[in-house]
Amino acid sequence: MFEVLMYDGGVYRSDELYEMIEDVGGTVIQRTRSSQMLTVTMSVPGEDRPMVEKLCKELGGQVREVPLAGTEIAVVGPTLGRHHMPHPICDIAEQLRQYGAISVVMGLARGRGKATSQISLEEMKVIEEYDVAIMMLGNFKPCIESKTHLFEKIETPVILVTGPMPEGIDDLCEAIIPGIGRKAERMRTVPERAKLVEVADTVMKVLGNKRKLLEEDPLFVHPAELKQLLEEYEPISMSLRPAPIVLHMDGLRVKIPYVENKDYLDNLEVYGRRLSEVARITPSKISDSSTIIRIMTESEVRDRDMQRTEG
Amino acid sequence: MNIEATGTDPYGSEAYKDLFRVIMSDIGKGILIDEARILLRPEVPLFIFSVMLKAEPDNKTISDAASLRKEGDNVFITISDERYAPDILSQLWKRYTRARVDQQTRFDIVIEGADTDEVADIEISSGEETKKEILGAVWRSMPEGIRVRFNQTDGRVLTIMATEEIVRPEMKEEARKVHEEMLAKAREAERHV
Repeated sequence: MFEVLMYDGGVYRSDELYEMIEDVGGTVIQRTRSSQMLTVTMSVPGEDRPMVEKLCKELGGQVREVPLAGTEIAVVGPTLGRHHMPHPICDIAEQLRQYGAISVVMGLARGRGKATSQISLEEMKVIEEYDVAIMMLGNFKPCIESKTHLFEKIETPVILVTGPMPEGIDDLCEAIIPGIGRKAERMRTVPERAKLVEVADTVMKVLGNKRKLLEEDPLFVHPAELKQLLEEYEPISMSLRPAPIVLHMDGLRVKIPYVENKDYLDNLEVYGRRLSEVARITPSKISDSSTIIRIMTESEVRDRDMQRTEG
Repeated sequence: MNIEATGTDPYGSEAYKDLFRVIMSDIGKGILIDEARILLRPEVPLFIFSVMLKAEPDNKTISDAASLRKEGDNVFITISDERYAPDILSQLWKRYTRARVDQQTRFDIVIEGADTDEVADIEISSGEETKKEILGAVWRSMPEGIRVRFNQTDGRVLTIMATEEIVRPEMKEEARKVHEEMLAKAREAERHV
């Protein structure tokens, strides 16, 4: 059983950590370096965890469990304006990063207003690229209840974070967390910190449901295994972007243009199959410089094979 | 600053009371406000923010915020109100250039070859500018989507009404009523002073 851990420390002797991860058969999920500080999210076998932890302590770093590692989460506000965007949205995104998720902050183009708010199809498709979307709404109950069209058609699980508790919209999202709303300062008090923990716990619960479904019908290949294969590809290994590959629960975001790398990605061999036979590879809706790979489940692959032989 | 928030949504009213206080303090206008009345009806939507200032903002000159004395060709300025120190310095730089303005300590400035009366009359803060900044802060504390606004300003009372689409006459009437009540309160307070 693999366990996901996060090392938080300096870059000094970090090559020893990478060697150990490789020796025990683990993988580096995410590596973020900022000046002399380093954060490494890794997946290592459970029986080797004490050894890895010991080395991390020797290197002067800290190790902690990161239950949301390997997920990418969008925190969405009605607009990018100062009324909606800062403080609670950034605090939630930061809290999710502490739990190991890659989180992004997003604002809709026309999400403000009770009667005039809108979401475009493109915005919905962008949000659907993420494992979970957290939709932040404000302090007025009638406004929240009349803005359900902003999230009800999104296919990714949506967690609604609001000020007051809205009524009659429980079926339109996975979970509702009241008690946050619009704020003009950072969430620093003890009750506010507890709310942030509640948000992260709810995300874990929602992702847990998705994980259970994947356990019943597993993916053809685990995203982390596919990541290892892709890392050898030169445009990715030479990429200067901080995280050229981002893991999702059911696939990957690879930060290379789809059009230019289509042939390689389609024909990459995975357990004797071409990647395009076992995954849906599409350009990202955010920009042309990223590609989304959604791995099919084993039953989907079987079903496709049967259809092909019948056809 | 005394804030009274009323409305049909108890959670929103309480939250907006805090928001208003924090935003005003953030931009440093909290100390200028004596009282604020906030009326919130999100179901309409109709928002009325009425603000009574401690005093009507007027134009300030250097002599209002500092004492001046002349020694030979030089004018010595001692700043008594720290809030205006950056404005005084920037106005002096603009008028006399940096070469002639010597800031000896935080509150003491010497200007070479200047006239005391001329220095005393330099404007450092405009009342209109202050009112505009307060108005901007009130807009900032209002919900973003509520963009159709109607402003009223009389002396030290500012009232802003906002809605999302069409401003109906009864909305304006309600804003005028709140404005009149705040004006009456301001007059009453002045009478007691």
